[in-house]
Amino acid sequence: MASAWFGGTGSGFFAVLISTALIDYFFVPPFHSFSISTSAEAYFIAFVVCALVASWVSSGKKKGEEALKEALDLLEVRVSERTAELLKTQAELTRLSQVLSMGELTASIAHEINQPLTAVVTHGHACIEWLSASPPNLEKTRQTVERMIEDGTRAGAVLSRIRALFKKESPAKDWLDTNELIHELTTFLRDEAIRRRILIRTDLVPSLPKVKADRVQLQQVVLNLMMNGMDATAETTDRPRELLISVRGKESELVVRVEDSGVGLDPETAAKIFDPFFTTKPHGIGMGLSISRSIIEAHEGRLWASPRPSGGAIFQFTLPIQSRDSDG
Amino acid sequence: MADNRPTIFVVDDDASVRDAISNLLESVGLRALVFGSTEEFWKSARPDAPGCLVLDVRLPGVNGLEFQEVLAKNAVSIPIIFITAHGDVPMTSRAMKAGAIEFLMKPFQKEELLAAVHNGLDRDRIRRHERAEVSVLQSRVEQLTAREREVMNLVVTGLINKEIGAQLGLSEVTVKIHRSRVMQKMEAASLAELVRMSEKLKPRVRI
Repeated sequence: MASAWFGGTGSGFFAVLISTALIDYFFVPPFHSFSISTSAEAYFIAFVVCALVASWVSSGKKKGEEALKEALDLLEVRVSERTAELLKTQAELTRLSQVLSMGELTASIAHEINQPLTAVVTHGHACIEWLSASPPNLEKTRQTVERMIEDGTRAGAVLSRIRALFKKESPAKDWLDTNELIHELTTFLRDEAIRRRILIRTDLVPSLPKVKADRVQLQQVVLNLMMNGMDATAETTDRPRELLISVRGKESELVVRVEDSGVGLDPETAAKIFDPFFTTKPHGIGMGLSISRSIIEAHEGRLWASPRPSGGAIFQFTLPIQSRDSDG
Repeated sequence: MADNRPTIFVVDDDASVRDAISNLLESVGLRALVFGSTEEFWKSARPDAPGCLVLDVRLPGVNGLEFQEVLAKNAVSIPIIFITAHGDVPMTSRAMKAGAIEFLMKPFQKEELLAAVHNGLDRDRIRRHERAEVSVLQSRVEQLTAREREVMNLVVTGLINKEIGAQLGLSEVTVKIHRSRVMQKMEAASLAELVRMSEKLKPRVRI
């Protein structure tokens, strides 16, 4: 039986033959002889039949096992092929979503810079007019030039803000003012929010302690939560579309909340929302919240989601407040 | 006196842009009033003077293009000059079809803005003049009796007194008397002038 299991039908029958001969010799009277007495004949035949059947069944089972193994191997190959395909699609989607958001960001940046630029050019024209008057209106000219300087400075500030947003600073954590960070991001998304008819409100407490964090990573998290919130309100028509960003200091941690008046979270979605590749967006790749959570956890904080009582969702994260003394 | 001066209303949510436009208009002797949103403009008390609206397309709340529709629905026919940083063709043609004077891309040149503003003010002056004329004529029509109005409506179609009399069941002499009263009350010197007046009144008289 054992030989049939491992060796297949041929070796199974060979084993049956050997064992039959041995049984005959040792256990079937007359003992120590290959001849069979008539009284033991029935017993001997029964043994042979049993051995043959057992061997047959056993080798059949072995065949089934092999087929199953083959099928499993095939399945494994197919799965890995499919996975490779999916990864490729995933990579394409990632690239696509990056391109799309870059397009949106570019439009936003262009607008942010175009506004002060328009003001400068228009003031410049006015300046010439004030100077061309007879007598030249020097007071108005001076005021106009002052405003041009303000607007030019503002355009420069927009640029350096964007540079800070994109430049990968040293991975070392800096002391950050969360209010400032949120202010930068809301300014950055203002134009996009107007386009989507979403009101962005902030509820910040002045002079909160600074936290030690990677600026770019934290910006990524807050930007991601804000963009998610804005996406979630896309279908909202029965109430104002709004996004509220608030920061509170709570004992030993800061709590940053991003609330939206969007579709909200059903319990099933809420359970999976931080899983990698889970997404509710038609073109999403489902990495944003998963990455955000790992960033926050790397900062020894927590990120979680809950439904908003008045409709929508609340995403909030904590960041530990460390005393500056404990920092080396 | 100041209230008769032409006024340019500037609506842009960016304070520095609207201030710059206001400064430029002021530098060429035009009066500008600035607003941060369409709602703010809508709620404001506007002087009864020729005016035009310099309107940013992208605004919080009701945006520029939507506001153009709101104004049209409310029969506010102030000429509009759009300014935008994101002028795409469909947006531009939609605004122009709806009667905008000009669609300017930020940053724009002084000549472009001033030409559009003067064009807008001229249009508004003409519109105001016509509206004033119509309202004078309207008040004259209101002095006419029902019978005189009937006679006037037929006179301007070119019918002679006899035909009018036949249509209204009046004698030719009676028609002649009504007709001279109409000419007198409407202050029309000739039949031709009465016809012109009736043309101007047309949309209202026929209601």
